Amino acid sequence: MEWVAALMFVVVILVLLAGFPVAFTLGGTALLFAGVGVLAGSFNEALLSMLPNRLFGIMTNGTLVAVPLFVFMGVTLERARIAEDLLETLSALFGTLRGGLGLSVTLVGMLLAASTGIVGATVVTMGLLALPTMLKRGYAPEISTGIICASGTLGQIIPPSIILVMLGDVMTTAYQQAQQNMGVISPQTVSVGDLFAGAVIPGLLLVLMYLLYILGVAYFKPDAMPAHQRTADDRVSWGRILRALVPPLGLIFAVLGSIVGGYATPTEAAGVGGTGALLLALSRRELNLARLREITQSTLRISSMVFLILIGASIFSLVFRGYGGDDGIRAVLEALPGGMVGAVAVVMLVMFLLGFVLDFIEITFVVVPIVAPVLLAMGLDPVWLGIMIAINLQTSFLTPPFGFALFYLRGVAPPSVTTTHIYRGVIPFVAIQLLALLLLALFPQLVTWLPGKIYG
Amino acid sequence: MLDRISTTVGKASAWLTLFMVIVTFVVVVLRYVFDVGLIWLQESVIWMHAVVFMIGAAYTLQQEQHVRVDIFYRAMTPQWRAWVDLIGVLVFLLPLCALLALKSFDFVAFSWRLHEASRESGGMPYPMVPLLKSILLVMPVMLGLQGVSMLLRCIHTLKKN
Repeated sequence: MEWVAALMFVVVILVLLAGFPVAFTLGGTALLFAGVGVLAGSFNEALLSMLPNRLFGIMTNGTLVAVPLFVFMGVTLERARIAEDLLETLSALFGTLRGGLGLSVTLVGMLLAASTGIVGATVVTMGLLALPTMLKRGYAPEISTGIICASGTLGQIIPPSIILVMLGDVMTTAYQQAQQNMGVISPQTVSVGDLFAGAVIPGLLLVLMYLLYILGVAYFKPDAMPAHQRTADDRVSWGRILRALVPPLGLIFAVLGSIVGGYATPTEAAGVGGTGALLLALSRRELNLARLREITQSTLRISSMVFLILIGASIFSLVFRGYGGDDGIRAVLEALPGGMVGAVAVVMLVMFLLGFVLDFIEITFVVVPIVAPVLLAMGLDPVWLGIMIAINLQTSFLTPPFGFALFYLRGVAPPSVTTTHIYRGVIPFVAIQLLALLLLALFPQLVTWLPGKIYG
Repeated sequence: MLDRISTTVGKASAWLTLFMVIVTFVVVVLRYVFDVGLIWLQESVIWMHAVVFMIGAAYTLQQEQHVRVDIFYRAMTPQWRAWVDLIGVLVFLLPLCALLALKSFDFVAFSWRLHEASRESGGMPYPMVPLLKSILLVMPVMLGLQGVSMLLRCIHTLKKN
């Protein structure tokens, strides 16, 4: 009955395109397939009775509690308007350099990515704040939009990222499963902390490559990113720069350091980070009861959205397994020419294409649990695989014509910026992403060195 | 009216997110500064989390915040969107809620009969575990009601034209 599982996968992708909320489409489609199967006698109804237990498992999952806490921290920092301050001070610092504003925008994107970690929000914020300034200062629309999209999607990969928390939880289970299937007696574990540590160097590498590209453009095509003549009103004092930079940077380092250093679990660090964000907002006089209410409601909506997709995905994968879909996938992957390399290449390509229609959350909860155990059983490093998936999907979200980041920016860009500008602007960054993926594939140490160094 | 239930309950449970942050902070301080570990306090964070996303699901639906793949949906006319939502609620959402409620009933009832308490020593006492499991019943009911409200709105949109 594996063909039913394959059919179900194709059908769910097609039905998702109609636009009904993802969480219910995933669960509902699976339910229909299960229902038909029960009537036809090809699906074991008892499997559906496992649902309450599974849902209760999701409700009490200790790792994923970190998600709403990180969301809370991110939303609070966003509402505290740290982005405005960072951009103003950094562009005053680098603005007189050729391409300097571009560098500042990339760095602010990186900091926002690390602190808020919500891609849509980062791209929109940067689009609203930075794009008008860049265009006013004579930057070409292509390079401006490219920088904003690329640095806005960094939130997925630069820790502490919500995506990595979810991916870490899925990877933990997949790794256990893989080792069980291989008959390993004393299985090793992989944690969210491992993924965070593994993401540090690749994340910084990406930022470095962006910066080099921007400097290159500034050097070879000076008209695309002219230097800004310093005027009296945009001179800022070092004190102001420090005041803008130190609190968010301190918060990020404290949260990330305590997790990567193994002093605190991601949940604990996120709780402390959330409290820190509240204090930061309070000290900037950006916090009142009305805003606090907005923050809590926004956190609830984002968490509920994420976890309902997880519920929908777990119903989907229960039925998918019931039809023997996971055995089918294993058979296909193991039969691929080129062994492990071939299997990874195919999975990466499929995920890249799925990234055009599905969000990171759906892919993490639906696709990764199905393919990861097979790949890990072939002997891959779980941290490396996780980071490759994360960067691969980040690239997918940047790639025209369907990349999510491009839509987000399109929504807030002024009419003078055309869709073609955005497409042309991101292509060099997509190339950079692919180059980074290639580097990580050739030199896996870039990912595995830091976690190995820390955790032994 | 149905919308009001979802929104009021949703907004009220939203405050739990603030408590989650603060309680986690307190747990950390107790653990690392005073070397005191309170299992039930730690569990309470997980519980608040479960309440937040399960009970908040209906409110999130009312607020149109459940993610859609909107490549085509965005370009549709209001009538087309109403059709998508109408069919989606009837074919996906309502059956899903019905199944969850049906399947969870025994699971929850069993826990109440068992007088189940937390498996961790020093964890939550008796009525709390079945209470938490009961959310598995509350969530599909609330979500289903919000689905009905969505259905009525779609029919209204379609009738207008």
